[in-house]
Amino acid sequence: MARALLCVDRLSKAYAGRTVLDAVSLSVASGEVVAVLGASGAGKTTLFRCIAGLAAIDAGSVHLDDTPLQALRGRALAAARRDIGLVFQQHNLVRRLDALDNVLAGRLGRVPAWRVILRRFAGADLSRAVAALDRVGLIEHAHQRADTLSGGQQQRVAIARVLAQESRIILADEPVASLDPVTAAATLALLRGLARERGIGVLCNLHQVDLALGHADRIVGLAGGRIVVDAQPGTFDGAARTRVFGDLPDAPIPAPVTDRSGAVLH
Amino acid sequence: MSPALDRLPQRPFASVAAGRFRFVAVLAIVTAFYALCLHYADIDLERLWTGIPRLIAWAMRAWPPDFAELDLLLARALETLAIATIGTTIGAVIAVPACVLAARNLTPNSFLRTPARWVLNALRGIDSFVFALLFVAAVGLGPFAGVLGVALHSAGTIAKLWSEAIEAIEPGPIEAVAMTGATRTKIVVFAVLPDVLPSLTSIVLYVWEVNARASTVLGLVGAGGIGQELKNSVDLLLFPRVFAILIIILVMVTAIDQLSAWLRRRLV
Repeated sequence: MARALLCVDRLSKAYAGRTVLDAVSLSVASGEVVAVLGASGAGKTTLFRCIAGLAAIDAGSVHLDDTPLQALRGRALAAARRDIGLVFQQHNLVRRLDALDNVLAGRLGRVPAWRVILRRFAGADLSRAVAALDRVGLIEHAHQRADTLSGGQQQRVAIARVLAQESRIILADEPVASLDPVTAAATLALLRGLARERGIGVLCNLHQVDLALGHADRIVGLAGGRIVVDAQPGTFDGAARTRVFGDLPDAPIPAPVTDRSGAVLH
Repeated sequence: MSPALDRLPQRPFASVAAGRFRFVAVLAIVTAFYALCLHYADIDLERLWTGIPRLIAWAMRAWPPDFAELDLLLARALETLAIATIGTTIGAVIAVPACVLAARNLTPNSFLRTPARWVLNALRGIDSFVFALLFVAAVGLGPFAGVLGVALHSAGTIAKLWSEAIEAIEPGPIEAVAMTGATRTKIVVFAVLPDVLPSLTSIVLYVWEVNARASTVLGLVGAGGIGQELKNSVDLLLFPRVFAILIIILVMVTAIDQLSAWLRRRLV
């Protein structure tokens, strides 16, 4: 396998004395889609916040290529973040800006400050943002204010923002939680397409096993702040499922969903 | 009856007792505080009783209001409005960098933020009137001293209210924009301002409205405006003129209140 793009090594994090992440190690190669599966409260969101540098880590390291992210501060951190796209579970759009402006925000790391202050984006940045918005199927809504969009549309604008950012890795925290099943599958297919086309590494939090089986190259299971499974979808069996989610007698593993939909997002 | 009700745990006795004790303690403190205030405020109903006929006599002598010098009075009222407007504007300009320093989510560094807050609290704690008193001594009589007084006090008030409005915004969009690699200036311009601009404008309008009211008394310390005419007229016992001035103040302040409230309603 190619050398890992993102390398998380024995990362630990505690909040108020309670261990949330316990020596978590994982890696994502470029072009690879890794799904992180775990029940609510398993520490998935905390893991993403630690990798992104939004939360300080207590021990361990996070490397993007050879750059140790946990050591960066200020401008160096901002510069490194251009390569890390984060899709938040709560979308986190700027509510009073329209959809297109929110996608343009993805370009902020590469645009000079005066252009940001005057809202005069260069043609190349604008066309990237428009293309990203088109790719998630929302070009008709470009000039609609973010807070008037539906939850699913907001989620897709957030994904378009990450597309426009052109990061080398995408961390997606429950990116399909507020989407209907068809759009959810299409969105994951889109993320996988990006990984293939651009060689982006994708690390994606999910809590639905079927989605992970259908779309990921590798599945990492998180339970109680520890990695309990690291497997290919083909080898993720009932035992692995139990290690991640505990015993749920009446919940067999659903059949993997083939990602057929390209109708909503192409 | 639902069996779940039987399993509802009892509130621990200790917390119930603590709640009662706290209530009695708060009641005792508030009572003591009022007793102290009544003592120091020197409340004397008898003096009020004997003073009322004097007030009524003045009020009767004040009728009809004397608008003989309407031109002058209106010019002075305009001066008051000008003091409030220019003072609020200068205060807002000072508040722009100050509120960034005072807002916890924009300046996480407390070595910078804590002193900034002290300064703002000091500016806000000293009234425009008091600042004007000092500025009259420094730059001489007239509206300019009033402008400086209003500006300093407003800078503290606006920056404080602004920084609170900024602190109240959701952290999510700021984090999201920070994750694109944006530096602080870009984050403020792109994620913070669009969210808070309506409430920031509303705050300036509110402070302007308060200043228009507060500036009517600046003349008492010689800092210009309609208050100067008010003081002269009271000193000379020209009650019909005092009455006319009070009417002008009331009309002006009410008009500005309405205008400001209307504008603020449109902002939300």
